[in-house]
Amino acid sequence: MRRTVADGLRSTVRALVYAVLGGTALLAVATVVAVLGPVLALDLYTPAVAAWWTVFTAVAVQGVPFLLLGTVVSAAIGAFVPERVLRRLLPRSPALAVPVAGVAGAVLPGCECASVPVAGSLMRRGVAPAAALAFLLSAPAINPVVLVATSLAFPGRPEMVLARLLASLGTAVVMGWLWVRFGREKWLRIPGRDTPHTTGVRAFADGLQHDFLHAGGFLVLGAAAAATFNIAVPRSVLDVFTGSPWLAVPLLALLAVVLCVCSEADAFVAASLSAFPATARLAFMVVGPMVDLKLLALQAGTFGRAFAVRFASATWVVAVASSALVGWWLL
Amino acid sequence: MRRYGGAVLLLLTGAAVLRITVFGELYLRYVQAGLRPYLIVSGGALVLLGLVSLATTALPGRRGRPDTPHGHPGAPDDHPGHHHGPAGPRVARLLTLPALALLLFPPPALGSYSADREAAQRAAQGVGTFPALPAGDPVTLTVGAYSSRAIYDSARSLKGRTVRLTGFVTHGDDGAWYVTRLLVTCCAADATTAKVEIRGVDAPPTDTWVTVTGTWRPKGTLGSDAAWPPLLAATTVTRVRQPADPYEKP
Repeated sequence: MRRTVADGLRSTVRALVYAVLGGTALLAVATVVAVLGPVLALDLYTPAVAAWWTVFTAVAVQGVPFLLLGTVVSAAIGAFVPERVLRRLLPRSPALAVPVAGVAGAVLPGCECASVPVAGSLMRRGVAPAAALAFLLSAPAINPVVLVATSLAFPGRPEMVLARLLASLGTAVVMGWLWVRFGREKWLRIPGRDTPHTTGVRAFADGLQHDFLHAGGFLVLGAAAAATFNIAVPRSVLDVFTGSPWLAVPLLALLAVVLCVCSEADAFVAASLSAFPATARLAFMVVGPMVDLKLLALQAGTFGRAFAVRFASATWVVAVASSALVGWWLL
Repeated sequence: MRRYGGAVLLLLTGAAVLRITVFGELYLRYVQAGLRPYLIVSGGALVLLGLVSLATTALPGRRGRPDTPHGHPGAPDDHPGHHHGPAGPRVARLLTLPALALLLFPPPALGSYSADREAAQRAAQGVGTFPALPAGDPVTLTVGAYSSRAIYDSARSLKGRTVRLTGFVTHGDDGAWYVTRLLVTCCAADATTAKVEIRGVDAPPTDTWVTVTGTWRPKGTLGSDAAWPPLLAATTVTRVRQPADPYEKP
């Protein structure tokens, strides 16, 4: 009995001490923050930081409708399209399914944020990964919205649109075939939602919420990276490299990776890089929708980091080669 | 509380999107005007989805998944880097960052800082003729349109016209100052710069929004680097409020 009283007393004292100490500490912190906070916040809120926040929120805001479209389509595929329908639509052999899926990319009118969840959902529904990957690469690059934007950005130069179409489709198909030949299942984490057997409206709502939240988080991550590079790399640096096509092509292809311009807008940015040779600008437009920091984050989130790094670097190389080839032929 | 995390994130994101589109025109600081209907639909859909998720989580007796409300019925989490709490994927919490920024402290439109960092771009186009300028004196033009007419118009449609331009002030070296505007195609990340050098009146401070009235002063050969940036001999400069859409379309 005495022991419990002593225990009670001890814990009361301890609680009191904690309360006093914690309260004092909290008060001190609050005072310091209240006094120094506004000063510090104003000091830290330089034009560069403000511009970072603006670009960061801009990329995220712009991505939301496209991401939602992509997740709606992907959740709809997951919930309403039976596997055998997709199986019947695509040729049995992956090597033949790849070009079909690549061309089918033309029907998803969105930018790259939309295509990642859709590709994930296709794999989940039993589409060969190679075909789904070809679709993933081609959809944001060759859909009608993007091609019309390209023709608007390069008035009087229809060969630019054709070159973009061919080089992008070529890259997508080659990457699909490369995956058929060299891809390893263990690199790829096929995105399994944990309720694979339910279908219908509830599965749709659950899938939508999960996919949107998941991809949205990675979109934010990518937006942060894009904003950082946007603020850190001045575009005037580029002028140094405009002279040599051997440098200009890989340089603009790298720029496409770090700038993360939406595929519906990148033609206008490419058009504004008027000091560069046409082939380099083509490379910018071919690489942009297939490899950029925002996409890398989305892919890593959906398919796993091991896959995203391998796939993105291989795609970059193939895309640069394909645009160099098509550019040399057409432009 | 944590069970509602997913729903809260959806509501927060949806509310942020609706705040900048339905309740004001803040979205124009971040994306181009054409995106508004899509943003409104997305914001509404996200709020709706959040409410549905909230309701189904809160209502007891949801079949088959008593403690895993968001479609993750305790299946083994076999892939690394894909951690799921009860409220959905953990990485999704990052969504609070832009959402709260938009709800509480919406970031400002890009201004002179971004304009200075980027070498102003000349729109890639050849020398040629332009459609006739609209009637009126002075005629109101965008900074981008004035630049391309000044540099590329072989018919010299600007000649003898009084024009009015609106933009923010930037300063160059050796005392030159410019009326500058950022051109945004899709979102603020793809902003490029258009600027017109102003002669004849004193420079206001950097980042002030002004409307300048004046006449074109030709310089350099058409289409050459020497023709850029174009000049405007100004008669009046008035300070104005920042327009609702701070950017121009290229």
